[in-house]
Amino acid sequence: MSAAPNIDATLAALADPIRRRAVELIGAQPRPAGDLAAALDLPAPAMSRHLRILKQGGLLEETHPEYDARVRIYSLRPGAMDALKTWLAETEEMWAGQLAAFKTHLEQRKP
Amino acid sequence: MSAVIVSLRVPATPEHAFDVFTGDIGVWWRPGALFQLTPRGDGTLSFDDQQRLITTLPNGKVFEIGRVHVWQRGKRVAFSWRQGTFRPEQSTEVDIRFEKVGDDTRITVEHRGWDEIPQDHVARHGFPLQHTQLHLAKYWRNLLEGVKAEIQA
Repeated sequence: MSAAPNIDATLAALADPIRRRAVELIGAQPRPAGDLAAALDLPAPAMSRHLRILKQGGLLEETHPEYDARVRIYSLRPGAMDALKTWLAETEEMWAGQLAAFKTHLEQRKP
Repeated sequence: MSAVIVSLRVPATPEHAFDVFTGDIGVWWRPGALFQLTPRGDGTLSFDDQQRLITTLPNGKVFEIGRVHVWQRGKRVAFSWRQGTFRPEQSTEVDIRFEKVGDDTRITVEHRGWDEIPQDHVARHGFPLQHTQLHLAKYWRNLLEGVKAEIQA
């Protein structure tokens, strides 16, 4: 399955409840790391680590506001969940097809 | 919803359906172009001594798809599931149940890819999978309507 490595990273990123909450907050509104750390009551280094993993998982992207290039604003990356959705759709289709094949085989096999 | 679930009703007892499903998987499994289990194709699947699900490729090589965790004849078979393109540490889980429904058996395949995400959390804070949930709900509704039509035909 071509999307597997992306799914792996996406799932690893979403496996942590704090990171899922961060994704929810960012999904509601793009935010700088400081806002997220405050909302999640996390020290800055811990917040940075979670954001790094989310970026590696392909879920986030960062931009800089015009007024200050040092500030990073995190937002959800468009298509971030595509790999996961592809995996779901492909896996469903696979089993639907295989069960249909099994049913056909079972009926033909009957005496 | 953090798993793929597909079910189908077949005209057989649960024990017979289970025996044919597991015993003849090398016969009824349909190789798929989109879903090849290994880069060399799907090969011939078999449950090896009720311990492993393996596939034997045309060149004789054996690829282990997964380890069987549950083997309850006529009721349930569950196993890990790795495709050839997965990373070594990546695995998913397949759980197949056989339930008696009148004279038939309903087979339900549940394929979980991210067990580590608690389902209650996803249900409560559905954001990451929200779109997917809608998509899957539509898919399953169509699928089940199709199955129903087939039974009534």
